Amino acid sequence: MLEFLLRRLAAAIVMLLVVGTIIFSLLVIVPGDPAELLLSTGGGSATQEAIQNLRNEMGLDKPILAQYFGFLANTAQFDFGTSIVDGSSIADNIALRLPRTLEIIAVGAILALLLAIPAGTLAGLRGGGRFDVIASAVNALLTSIPGFVVGTLFIYFFAQVLGVLPAGGYVAFAADPAQHLQMLILPATTVALHLATIIFRMTRASVLEMRGHDWVRTATAKGLRRSLVVRHHILRNALGPVITVAGLQLGILLGSTVLIEFVYNWPGLSGMLVTAVEQRDYPTVRAIILTVAAIFIGINLMIDILYSLLDPRVRLQ
Amino acid sequence: MTHSFQASMMATRRGVLLSLGVGITAMALPCGAWAQSTNAILKFGLSTFPPTVKPFDNTGGAANTVKLMIYRGLMGYDASGKLLPELAESFEWLEPTVAVFKLRAKATFHNGKPVTAADVVFSLNEITKEGSSAFLKSDLTIITAAEAVDEKTVQITLSSPSAIFLDLMASYCCPVISAESTEDNAIGAGPFVMKSSEKGVFIELERFDKYYADDQPHVGGIRFIAYADENLRFAALEAGDVDLIEYLPWTQFDAVEASDTMQMRSTLGPYMFLLFNVTDGPFADAKVRQAVGYAIERQDVVDAAFAGRGVPLYGFPNPQGSPFDLTDPAHEWTFDAEKAKALLAEAGYPNGFDCRLLATATYGMHQDTASVVQAYLAMIGINATLDLPDWGTRVTAGKEGKYDLAVHGSSGTYNDPDSLWSLLYSGNPSYLQSFGFKSARIDGLLEQGRTEVDPEKRKAIYQDLATAYFEEVPQVPLNWRVQAYAMKKTVTGFEALPGFLNGASAYALDDTKLG
Repeated sequence: MLEFLLRRLAAAIVMLLVVGTIIFSLLVIVPGDPAELLLSTGGGSATQEAIQNLRNEMGLDKPILAQYFGFLANTAQFDFGTSIVDGSSIADNIALRLPRTLEIIAVGAILALLLAIPAGTLAGLRGGGRFDVIASAVNALLTSIPGFVVGTLFIYFFAQVLGVLPAGGYVAFAADPAQHLQMLILPATTVALHLATIIFRMTRASVLEMRGHDWVRTATAKGLRRSLVVRHHILRNALGPVITVAGLQLGILLGSTVLIEFVYNWPGLSGMLVTAVEQRDYPTVRAIILTVAAIFIGINLMIDILYSLLDPRVRLQ
Repeated sequence: MTHSFQASMMATRRGVLLSLGVGITAMALPCGAWAQSTNAILKFGLSTFPPTVKPFDNTGGAANTVKLMIYRGLMGYDASGKLLPELAESFEWLEPTVAVFKLRAKATFHNGKPVTAADVVFSLNEITKEGSSAFLKSDLTIITAAEAVDEKTVQITLSSPSAIFLDLMASYCCPVISAESTEDNAIGAGPFVMKSSEKGVFIELERFDKYYADDQPHVGGIRFIAYADENLRFAALEAGDVDLIEYLPWTQFDAVEASDTMQMRSTLGPYMFLLFNVTDGPFADAKVRQAVGYAIERQDVVDAAFAGRGVPLYGFPNPQGSPFDLTDPAHEWTFDAEKAKALLAEAGYPNGFDCRLLATATYGMHQDTASVVQAYLAMIGINATLDLPDWGTRVTAGKEGKYDLAVHGSSGTYNDPDSLWSLLYSGNPSYLQSFGFKSARIDGLLEQGRTEVDPEKRKAIYQDLATAYFEEVPQVPLNWRVQAYAMKKTVTGFEALPGFLNGASAYALDDTKLG
């Protein structure tokens, strides 16, 4: 077991090294000079001398290889360094922003599960029925509207027309809990709607499939209550694939909440990544991508370990 | 009073939704926070989070706005754009190259210490020192000596007379900071002090009680909140989340004008233009560039890219508020497709040619401008392929000349034709200028205009420059942009400064009141 763990851990580290190297190389290739960009924000321009001085200050005058090995050495010590734009600590910024992205994903996921699993089950149990037809149509509609469009419509309706919710932004929960929750409603709902469409479809299909199995017929035939059959014989079996898909989607959301964060001005990790890319803030981009990659790899590692505990054959391979 | 009524209504409606939708009923909702005293906090929606607020660097409009609230220089502007002494109380020219500034007795830094002549000398040295990335580093090389005559008197000697020296002293990139400042903590003497900030989210300033003007500012603080999306910025104003926003999107001007609760202040600020790669190909010929000048119906650019909120610009971009009237209909490119075709034929391209038109997808106005330009060029046979990378790539492409034709928008920093220096002086090339363009004539006129102090002679120089601009075509002007700030009707005293000073409108926040 220990050997297996060490092997997987080593593989994870190699993967992170590969990710780090790829992202480092990509950033070298992508055109754009952080010093020139910073001094030309808004369409102005600085002298070439000023730009060169800023490049030196940012450490961009060092040879690429020296920058690369410096990056590897620092990352190995969990030192992400500072932003080349404003000198702030990257680790601190990530620590501040990652929980916010996780917050809208988590709240969105809970809302989505609460909404989609009962609805999907109901639609699946009465496949072809009136509820199924309507729910599936609404679902198809929601699937085809991108999150940022939903977001823009929500803002227009709830903030500009009705004036019942703020148009966007963020206030820390500790600073003002009520306002924090007000600002959380729209982004979390937007995430939830997207996720709910996927979970609904999966639940419905899965329930439809389970419904036709022999053991369900047997359970019904021996006179079990309908609700018991649904809960114990259909749902319990149907939810396996649903949870897998929901889990996968959560991982994907980590990197794709960017538009929702942008539309609602929610200062999470994705927004930070986009700004960093726009500014060509190389160390910040690398740190965020490595963090997200590490979370992904960490989840995979945990799944591997779980599998190996459940199935000894995995350990032998 | 109307305001607090609205606020409490809003709080109630929000409460209803909260209790219905989320089931949180016992939550104490924020209300009654609309103190109408001078302690109220002005909430200002910025277009972007300032990348840095280093006092001497130019890192964009949002940064300059925040900087002006924290730092002030020797000179400043009032809301009409008039140049006035700021931390200086008065100035005089001892000789055409020697200026003496008397500092205000009450001018105080945020650390409580008085603003002294030594601090002024320190600040100027910080700008011009070796290795500085200051915006005015090269402009201020005309300073040959800056001395503290006494505690409150500074004498600055220039290498040559300068018509714009006082404007430079009023720049948001030329504040006076304390000699006790460190690399990470520049101590200013502006009306507000930095209270707290979170990168990418907000900057909160609080009133500095020892600001030299006793009766200013009129608010207790300013909370700058960054809204990168222009429509969200407007939505935040409409929903009442902020009091004032910069860069009101052009498509929302009508909504603000029709509104009972919002108002706007606008001036003609920056302008849009086309740049050329003149190193080879058709655009190396000034006739072809002139043809482009005649080929575009500018009102269509204004209508398509700026929702009609702009003014066509047919010739030399002399800013609104400039001391000189340089209007010269003989040297303007009014729309004339036939003339454009004739010029192309004369240059040897009767059937037109293909080229690459660079703009950026980051800014809708650049992209829309490029689309209109593309359509008009097609009419005279120039087939332009759009290249729309992100802003960072576009800047590099501009600098390296990876284009044939490029759309850009920019502004000077003061209302004088000299302010076009960074856009036209080919001795200091940048992505703001046509790639490879060199003109000793234009450079010479710019140099003369800067060192000449007699207004009549300067006017003649700039008239010549306008002619040279038309004949040599370093750029093709398209239109002035109306640049607007929008605010609640309860915000009073704020004005947009005219012309190129639009970006320095933060000076007017000194007089801004809430409620």
